[in-house]
Amino acid sequence: MSTIAVNAITDANDGNTTTINGVTPNSANVVGKNRIINGNMVIDQRNAGASVTPINGTYVIDRWKQYQSAASKYSVQQNAGGVTPPAGFANYLGVVSLSSYTSSSADYFTLEQTIEGYNVADLGWGTADAKSVTVSFWVRSSLTGTFGGSIKNKSSGANRSYPFSFVISVANTWERKTITVIGDTTGIWLNTNGLGITLSINLGTGTTYSGPAGAWAATNYLSATGATSVVGTSGATFYITGVQLEVGESATEFEHRPYTTELQLCQRYCCIPADGSITSGAVIATGAAYTSGNNNTPLYLKVTMRAVPTLTQNTGSGYYVYYYNGTSSSTSSLTLSGASTNDCILLYSGASTATGAALDLRMNNANAKLILSAEL
Amino acid sequence: MYKLILDPTTNNIDVVKRIADNAFIPFDEANTDYQEYLEWLAEGNEPEPAD
Repeated sequence: MSTIAVNAITDANDGNTTTINGVTPNSANVVGKNRIINGNMVIDQRNAGASVTPINGTYVIDRWKQYQSAASKYSVQQNAGGVTPPAGFANYLGVVSLSSYTSSSADYFTLEQTIEGYNVADLGWGTADAKSVTVSFWVRSSLTGTFGGSIKNKSSGANRSYPFSFVISVANTWERKTITVIGDTTGIWLNTNGLGITLSINLGTGTTYSGPAGAWAATNYLSATGATSVVGTSGATFYITGVQLEVGESATEFEHRPYTTELQLCQRYCCIPADGSITSGAVIATGAAYTSGNNNTPLYLKVTMRAVPTLTQNTGSGYYVYYYNGTSSSTSSLTLSGASTNDCILLYSGASTATGAALDLRMNNANAKLILSAEL
Repeated sequence: MYKLILDPTTNNIDVVKRIADNAFIPFDEANTDYQEYLEWLAEGNEPEPAD
């Protein structure tokens, strides 16, 4: 076996079309370059494409969270308005303003994705070796002008932020934007399963949380000063997709990952083990009665989650049914216990199941739904 | 408001229920809901006891 140790391999014309076993590796096809998950807005586990008027601090499309200082100023929907996405994409996240709201200085309206610390540890932020990153995305709005956003930390009191601006030149037309951010050599940037780097897109933030574009600041800016407010115009639309954050000082082609890969990346943060709207009678899992009426069903998670997850659920009379010993009974809700990042126990009681009875737990209503969340 | 939840099999309390939305929150310091619960406790609040 021989070893090649060189600084560069280029083609005969000093270009970048060299092939290795028929493959041409370049910056556009490096696997894992995009640190944003669901940047193409294809995964929408919670709402399945339905429009929502979210409350403050909740997730909309997978991995995308929004914050609002005043309620009901916008709706969010995967593919809102039904416009044709930019070439190469099938989905986008759409925000529609529901009123003409004048933001006060302390108001904030923002769409965010926080990247887990593990996935940005190599950037070296907070050290002298901090690497630059480039953010790119496709955006379309009924408004034109200068818009804003920021890159920031959220640990240690959110005390480092880099506001940026971008211009939308033509209304109702997809435009691709790129922003390069010099790596932050100071501040605390987690490299664990906690809050890593947050990308914030402004929807109408006031002056308190807006700062000069293009420079690091030791405070929590969500946007560049003077940015256009989406919530300021009733009916205004703001659509975004193809969001990518990558190492380097130039934007490369969006990394299209397989659907299954994207879904599994999302499931580290949000997993829906049962959704009656998809298959109302589907099995959730099988278990056993520890003692009479003390029913346990272990649930093995699809991927290892970021943290031990919270269980939320849709509840209602008879939403969940369990079969045992040739009969069945139902329950309106399930209780979480013994959870880890890999599994949990669903508890339910009611019928006098015999000790040791095998249990087949299923959904029993189209509205039944279990959500396990380990979001950041 | 929160309520502690007893696992009748293990007799352990390792989950708290957030009453507002019936969310079952495990005792894991990396869980953001549990972090909020800890902040609520630090303000001097107390959860309802387990049944």
